[in-house]
Amino acid sequence: MSKLINDGIRVDGRRADELRPYRLEVGVLKNADGSAYIELGKNKIIVAVYGPKEVHPKHLSLPDRCVLRCRYHMSPFSTDVRKTPAPSRREIEISKVIREALEPAILVGEYPRTAIDIFLEVLQSDGGSRCAGITAASLALADAGISMYDLVVACAAGKVDGTMVLDLSDIEDKEGEADMPVAVMPNLNVITLLQLDGILTHEEFKQGLDLALAGCMKLYEAQRKALMERYFKTALNQQQEVE
Amino acid sequence: MPEVKRKYVIPGELITEGNYRLLANVLKRENKFYATRVGLAEYGQEGVRVIPLTGPYIPRVDDLVIGKIVDYSAFVWEVDINSCFLAYLSAKSVYGKNFTPGQESLVKKFDIGDLIAAVVTAFDRTRDPILSVSGPGLGKITKGEVIKISPTKVPRLIGKKGSMIRTIESGTGCKLTIGQNGVIVVVGRPEGIIRAVRAIRLVEEEAHLADLTQKVQSMLGINQSE
Amino acid sequence: MAAAKRSFIMEHLRKSHMIELLAKGSRLDGRSLLDYRPIDIKCNIIQKANGSAQVSLGNTQVIAGVKIEVGAPFPDTPDKGLLVVNAEILPLASPYAEPGPPDEDAIELSRVVDRGVRESGMVDLSKLVLIPGQKVRAIFVDVSVLNVDGNLIDATSYAVVSALLTTKMPELEVTENGEIKEKSNLIPLPVSSIPVSVTFARIGEAMVVDPDSEEEAVMDARITLTTVGEGHLCAGQKGLAGGLTYEQIMFAAETAKIKGQEIREIIKKAISGVG
Repeated sequence: MSKLINDGIRVDGRRADELRPYRLEVGVLKNADGSAYIELGKNKIIVAVYGPKEVHPKHLSLPDRCVLRCRYHMSPFSTDVRKTPAPSRREIEISKVIREALEPAILVGEYPRTAIDIFLEVLQSDGGSRCAGITAASLALADAGISMYDLVVACAAGKVDGTMVLDLSDIEDKEGEADMPVAVMPNLNVITLLQLDGILTHEEFKQGLDLALAGCMKLYEAQRKALMERYFKTALNQQQEVE
Repeated sequence: MPEVKRKYVIPGELITEGNYRLLANVLKRENKFYATRVGLAEYGQEGVRVIPLTGPYIPRVDDLVIGKIVDYSAFVWEVDINSCFLAYLSAKSVYGKNFTPGQESLVKKFDIGDLIAAVVTAFDRTRDPILSVSGPGLGKITKGEVIKISPTKVPRLIGKKGSMIRTIESGTGCKLTIGQNGVIVVVGRPEGIIRAVRAIRLVEEEAHLADLTQKVQSMLGINQSE
Repeated sequence: MAAAKRSFIMEHLRKSHMIELLAKGSRLDGRSLLDYRPIDIKCNIIQKANGSAQVSLGNTQVIAGVKIEVGAPFPDTPDKGLLVVNAEILPLASPYAEPGPPDEDAIELSRVVDRGVRESGMVDLSKLVLIPGQKVRAIFVDVSVLNVDGNLIDATSYAVVSALLTTKMPELEVTENGEIKEKSNLIPLPVSSIPVSVTFARIGEAMVVDPDSEEEAVMDARITLTTVGEGHLCAGQKGLAGGLTYEQIMFAAETAKIKGQEIREIIKKAISGVG
């Protein structure tokens, strides 16, 4: 008898291919050049983008493109057991992985000798926070008006009690057999993040990838809606045909 | 009459397909055109472009900008022009070619916190923007209210051949100096300034919508001309 | 030249405009000298925390979260629980905030808010002892500053106080063999009184409450005074390099009592909506 899945129903009532409830909002911080907020399950993550801006000291800048800096940080009250404020090794690795998931989407050559800073703060964590963070960060970059090839959207698949499922919750992440976060540029169909933690057969790996990409496409629709809401709301409200 | 089609786009979105000229904020792959910014895509005879609704100010030579002095050395002022780079105004360009450092204290001419209207005389991918204040209407700004808008909305605030700025000026009795960097100085009587600021904020909010000129005119109580 | 911290430089034009208005008793955003910006407090927004509150003071935005653990008491206070207040000005919050360990401003912020809460006796730490000298409850209040637009001290203080007032923790019992067992019901912290901090900026001769970023950029001195319900003062901090006259300090003390009471009502309303 399985603990995490019973008759195809997971601990929180979802089926294998269902995302947790989510909400996205663009333009939530006044000082940042771009910002966004995401809730996914109990995850609450806020992202700010500052840039393009000058690099100090100047010798750290690159002559033909921008430097991208990313900081993923969890607030001490965001986890079940309080986390000390100082960055952990996990946060440092995740910061790098998120940066490398977003960089392929940015036209870095348009901003020589500058830096673009991306700050992600996890206010409440619930499994899959790096994916949710990437999804929000990409909105924050668009909000800042940074030229991009595409948005980036991310989602994790995993194996729980022998079944491949989409969007692991905290308990599934901790007690499941495998966890696979995936990020993709949806229009280009290019994968920019892939991590795997656990053992999967080749067949399971393919299933997981398919599940994750399907989840990404749903979240992409939500990203698009959030940007439309923020920038074109007045037009949509007035239901105007643009002249 | 050549038709221009428009649609709202986000980065990565397909705008159209076909034989068009490639203009700003658009990428071409094979025969397809994709947006790289959030904005209003326009495509027609002229080509395909996206008018962005958000984004930084990237200086261009000959731009009029309104900047704030933030630092100075013996021979140059550093100016914040609301861009990703600090701009520089050399003492030589103000005092003349024979200027030597230490000859004059720069602070007497422009101090930290002063606002100046200046023109970008040089900028490219390899160096910081250079400014000049030689020219009519340039130099220290001594009065008025300062307001900042997204630099992407400046073209709409100026309007075709200055039509929008003239509408606001005549409707409020104020004079507007609009920097391409999104910084605007409004000079006039207090009541006029309040109305001008409201009109500017309306343009910023609804830059992407039709009938904006009419809306501004009606907000300012101007009779709309045919 | 030593690398000075980058900070916001106010335009002279705007500063003269501000000074002109102050002489007439008003400010750039239309407020009068003793008006606070709109204060919005939402409690219980982080369910995983024992208590939490999000506060906006104008555009200044902070979130406080309370986490309660069981630990050893400080050696010199074996009969008291622990209370630690820690604030972090996130790099999210301002173009002038850098990632890294807290600088002197963030540390002063943490300690001033901590003192305001501690000295008021708002939380009765003696009621948090489980096994005297060995096991006590440790209350951690962490504050993440999300957007800076002046007056971090008051915003942070209201968030910390609101979060503590709405905190729920599992009731614990000590068994015969000295084990600590968690019971199924939730109880509040032993709280009484609502300390309220009121921060003033002196700009020239004018004293204003709740300075925003622009006012902080030009202020000569700052003073924060915290009062509790009966109007007694329980904490104070003067900041910045300028001075304050005796009259200005007494004026601040009087005003802190009055504004404190107004804001206390706002906090009471915000926490009453929570279960």
